[in-house]
Amino acid sequence: MIIDINFIGLIIASIMASAVPLILASCGELITERSGVLNLGVEGMMIIGAISGFALMTVTESLIIAVFGAMLAGVLISTIFAFLTQTLITNHVATGLALTIFGIGISAMIGKNFVGIPGKEFPVLFEGLKDIIPLLGPILFGHSIVFYFAFALPFITSYFLKKTKIGLIVRAVGDSPESASNQGINVRLVRYACILYGGAMSGLAGAYLSMIYTPQWIENMTGGRGWIALALVVFSTWNPIKILIGAMIFGGLTIIQFHMQAIGVRIPVQFLTALPYIVTIIVLVVISRDSRKIRLSTPSSLGKSFHKDN
Amino acid sequence: MNTNLKISNVTKIYPGCVANDNVSLEFNSGKIYALLGENGAGKSTLVKILSGVIIPDEGKIYLNENNLKLNSPLDAKKNDIGMVFQHFNLFETLSVFENLIIDSDEQRESLREKIDTIMKKYNFSIDLDIPVLNLSAGQKQKVEIIRCLIRSPKVLIMDEPTSVLTEQETSELFLSLKKFSEEGILIIYITHKLKEVMQLCDEVAVMRRGKLVSVSEIKNENIESLANKMVGQNLKTIKKKKAKTSSDQLIKITNLNFTSEDPFETNLMDINFSVNRGECLGIAGISGNGQSELFQILSGEIISEKNSIEFNNNYIGDLNPQERREYLMAFSPEDRLEQAAIPQMKIFENVALNNFKSSNFFNNGLINENKIKEHSKKIISDFNVNTDNIELKSQFLSGGNLQKLIIGRELITSPDLLICFNPTWGLDVGAINYIHETLIKINEKNKSIILISTDTDELLKLSDKISVIHKGKLSKIMNAEEVTSEKLGILMGGAN
Repeated sequence: MIIDINFIGLIIASIMASAVPLILASCGELITERSGVLNLGVEGMMIIGAISGFALMTVTESLIIAVFGAMLAGVLISTIFAFLTQTLITNHVATGLALTIFGIGISAMIGKNFVGIPGKEFPVLFEGLKDIIPLLGPILFGHSIVFYFAFALPFITSYFLKKTKIGLIVRAVGDSPESASNQGINVRLVRYACILYGGAMSGLAGAYLSMIYTPQWIENMTGGRGWIALALVVFSTWNPIKILIGAMIFGGLTIIQFHMQAIGVRIPVQFLTALPYIVTIIVLVVISRDSRKIRLSTPSSLGKSFHKDN
Repeated sequence: MNTNLKISNVTKIYPGCVANDNVSLEFNSGKIYALLGENGAGKSTLVKILSGVIIPDEGKIYLNENNLKLNSPLDAKKNDIGMVFQHFNLFETLSVFENLIIDSDEQRESLREKIDTIMKKYNFSIDLDIPVLNLSAGQKQKVEIIRCLIRSPKVLIMDEPTSVLTEQETSELFLSLKKFSEEGILIIYITHKLKEVMQLCDEVAVMRRGKLVSVSEIKNENIESLANKMVGQNLKTIKKKKAKTSSDQLIKITNLNFTSEDPFETNLMDINFSVNRGECLGIAGISGNGQSELFQILSGEIISEKNSIEFNNNYIGDLNPQERREYLMAFSPEDRLEQAAIPQMKIFENVALNNFKSSNFFNNGLINENKIKEHSKKIISDFNVNTDNIELKSQFLSGGNLQKLIIGRELITSPDLLICFNPTWGLDVGAINYIHETLIKINEKNKSIILISTDTDELLKLSDKISVIHKGKLSKIMNAEEVTSEKLGILMGGAN
């Protein structure tokens, strides 16, 4: 049997495509958590993004409105979380869980009218270059703009956190909100912004699922990806580049185990389905063992409410 | 240029407490001012008002005749008021340079040059590119000071700056402060340590219960006069009688080693010491040099090798705290509300947490509430805890009362050995006196104490023997009479 080299390229491209929503949501949540806020509502924000994107695409027939609308929907629902946790000082964990339950419920309700409607084709870039270079062609070219954005995002996030003043302020707030506040930094404002940004990225991740990856609306279509995104943030020890690695491993194993099931490899299906979860976590734990570095990159105030008293 | 700072009729009221009651003060540059008072006297509130952290209910602040509106720390910074807080406002996981650039509008390169100039001028040496958590307390304080100096402040406020410093670091700090003062920066120095006021300052303002009690020049005062103003009554000074030298060994630690998984804990290396009956062994050191690890090992929170701790001819290194209590050991940990008591639980419930077997607090798994309450009342009256209500949640007790309750709880079984860690940390002079008296009485009853403390004066007052812990190693054990605070300071800094 001769394996077409472009076929391998296509498999790698499909792995990358399945990693996109994880990268987007994780990088958003990473910024939120770096400011000290633990938002467990990623799954809920993603599914809201998914239904909003799909519904807006169907109703307005404009992809741009749909994509930005999905991000805006993520921002809106995360505003609820921000208001509750930052203004009313509720518990991060409970509020985040409620957000996920709320998101899944409301998306199913809105989505009733959109089940079974076919999606629109999302334009891809550099389609023509795909066949020119073997192997690399299908990997590098012929993807949507969101795909390219997702693979740039970990590097942008890393640069933002390490090299920019605002990134420094975000890290400072996550390290010690009390000190930041005494330095004249508006902790609440910074945290609001980081929560809203996380919401936008989760919304975009959801829109990618319902508009590009599998262009249709299916109830509960995020299927736990929000939780994987959360786990990636923690196990990558808040490092965007490691999120990229983790998302690729997870996406890769998900795709490969599908193919293995299809070929009929004699390994129990349950084990194959569990494989991506186990391997991703093991790999991330192994590459992030340095306890000193963990201490330096873990936001010390993560999940703790900050209340400024006068 | 001359700087004049005026506080005019400042009042700040919290529910149930007047933190600042119509306080007016005036400061001029060229002098170092002390703001002296016990915990809760209102001095911290006052300086937080000056630094914009707290907004006063009434009153005004003038800098060179300009009325300042200080609604946030940013306003204080803009008006050239610099403040070094007692609890550092640093970001531990960020590098020194990142900590400094975060509130500066300057470019990286020009800021670096500026910092280098400041460090050269005042003889500071700090690596700008390592994370702050790798710095010593003294270095962290220098970072805070540099942060203020970058903005060329007119006023520099230091809040209890020496509580974490060694003697050497303290005298270095004093030299720097004098230099700043000569250069025209107005220095306000907040403390409850009388010795420092006498050493450093030119004028002193004393506060008590939110009110300004007196303002005077240092040359007209002495330690006793200031102490009496601070407490509001004449304090009797207590002295320890020389202990009868006994050679009856009670506890012996042999070749104790501890290696921590956590990189921010200190490893202990080759700890050997023994304590005789009726003796108090003091262990001095700057906080973070292994004291808390040593305390946890002695109390059984961390289990060690069975043979490494011999108590009353039993090897107990592998026993947990509860089992050790049965051998008549007792423990008073450093953090009163985190480790010694549970803040949300009532006084008598906290007392019951020491469920030593002899107490009959529990019958077949049921709580014997009457017994516990009776016992709690006895502790409260025996140990002078200022409350009648044993149903009160322990978080509402003042630090001094809580410490008395904890020590009382530990002592009511008349243990052979009490191990305490910073027992008077953060307490006011009256409570400190009481705790010290209690500890001296323990020794007089031929019982022993291991006193781990960062307060050298306390150690010199109470100990028969003293050792110093530095980076997890214990110095040789010295007789207390042969030791001076200077010598301790040198050992605490790591020199021989």
